Amino acid sequence: MSRFVTARSLDGALDEVSHGARIIAGGTDFMIHVRRERLFGDEPSHAFVDVSRLEELNRLDLSSDLPFVGAAVTFRRLETSPEVRSLYGALAQCAATVGSVQIRTLATIGGNAANASPAADGVTALVALGARAKIVSPEGTRTERLEELITGPNRTNLSPEEIIVGFELDRSVRGTAQVFRKIGRRQAVVIARLNVAVCLGRDLSDPRVVVGSCFPSPRRLSAVEALLASGSPGPTLWKEAGLVASKEFVMVCGWRASASYKTPVTAALVTHALESAWEQVEVPDDHR
Amino acid sequence: MALSTRNFRFFQAIEDGHKTSHPGQRSAARDFEDTGANFMNLEFILNGRNQSVPDVPPHENLLHVLRDRLGMLGTKEGCGVGECGACTVLLDGEPVNSCLTNAWKAEGREVTTIEGLATNGRLHPLQEAFVEAGAIQCGFCTPGMILAAYALLKRTPNPDDDQIKTALEGNLCRCTGYKHIVEAVRLTARKAREGSVE
Repeated sequence: MSRFVTARSLDGALDEVSHGARIIAGGTDFMIHVRRERLFGDEPSHAFVDVSRLEELNRLDLSSDLPFVGAAVTFRRLETSPEVRSLYGALAQCAATVGSVQIRTLATIGGNAANASPAADGVTALVALGARAKIVSPEGTRTERLEELITGPNRTNLSPEEIIVGFELDRSVRGTAQVFRKIGRRQAVVIARLNVAVCLGRDLSDPRVVVGSCFPSPRRLSAVEALLASGSPGPTLWKEAGLVASKEFVMVCGWRASASYKTPVTAALVTHALESAWEQVEVPDDHR
Repeated sequence: MALSTRNFRFFQAIEDGHKTSHPGQRSAARDFEDTGANFMNLEFILNGRNQSVPDVPPHENLLHVLRDRLGMLGTKEGCGVGECGACTVLLDGEPVNSCLTNAWKAEGREVTTIEGLATNGRLHPLQEAFVEAGAIQCGFCTPGMILAAYALLKRTPNPDDDQIKTALEGNLCRCTGYKHIVEAVRLTARKAREGSVE
């Protein structure tokens, strides 16, 4: 039976999905999908359950021992929240690059992850912040690292009966210097050709580097992170890190048609992001 | 050139869309038969007045409810996929692309369209500024531009140029080159500051 249900409780939402309803949060990807189906003559016959008003999915608690961002938190909220800006800057910066104000008002971080586009800006930032998705189903709750939850382009290991409640973030990167950068064909309402998120602490003990839009599923660049953790901060290290990042791209993806563009640009983008992050380490924003 | 089945269905779908794109002509009954669904009344506040729309399918977007069911033709359909901003409306005061907004998300909430800005037959100061600054040519993007700017000025009464450009980055205009549009928003803010508008 085709109908639209606005879930008022998580149990109610789980009951709907267990009966075949499809989950809608912001709907900015979903409604395009529905439009495409209808253009080709397929009228949706399933129920919709809107999870965007559920309290738990709207929880944003970044100061606690277990920092948490709810799956239905919108990019607009992430972009404008002083708490997000100061504690998890990469998340706020990434949110500000998503679509337009109109799209950010609707689109949610959980929807971005569940849609699992390789170009998803939110996913790149979340993986750098060590996000673990908290997932509920009628069987119970599980937690899974986001880079393992997303198994390929627009593919996850979520079952149809599961709902992402939100993401736990690493406390260890809270307040570190964080930078998110994105390259697209224009400045707004654009899908990333490449995006990058980096986190740097003063001692470089736990650096994070994630490059998106060039791997089939999100990944931290472990070779780059190992290089940074053992190196001496400075322009030489940032440049070398960029080169190692571009080599990892070629190693994983092979020499595709886009590689002649993406290889040098990945190197430059990673180098630039590390430079910017290190500037923050040396001169924090609140001292500028 | 022969059309493939896929292309034929695509063009047929577009044609069907055109046939039903006039106010009041969209057939909820046909949707009902196709899906076996049980549609309900959608109730929300439109431009300050309670509005009830019967038989809204669960997959319908807000844009088509406004245009096809309520005849609010100020809200334009441009790209249909959130790229151009022509369909911008305010949902609880915040700008959204109505083409990407499931109509049922408006249930119990306030929707403002361009028709809701003028009062007592007088244009809103922002609309007047668009006229004064020459920020309109063909006019297709104008309702979306004005509503995006309206939301900005509510939040940030004295925006700088970067804030104006960020607020309008989701709205495409193919005529004016944007300069006069940014000027119109600046002009509205300046007049409000100087107290020359109420």
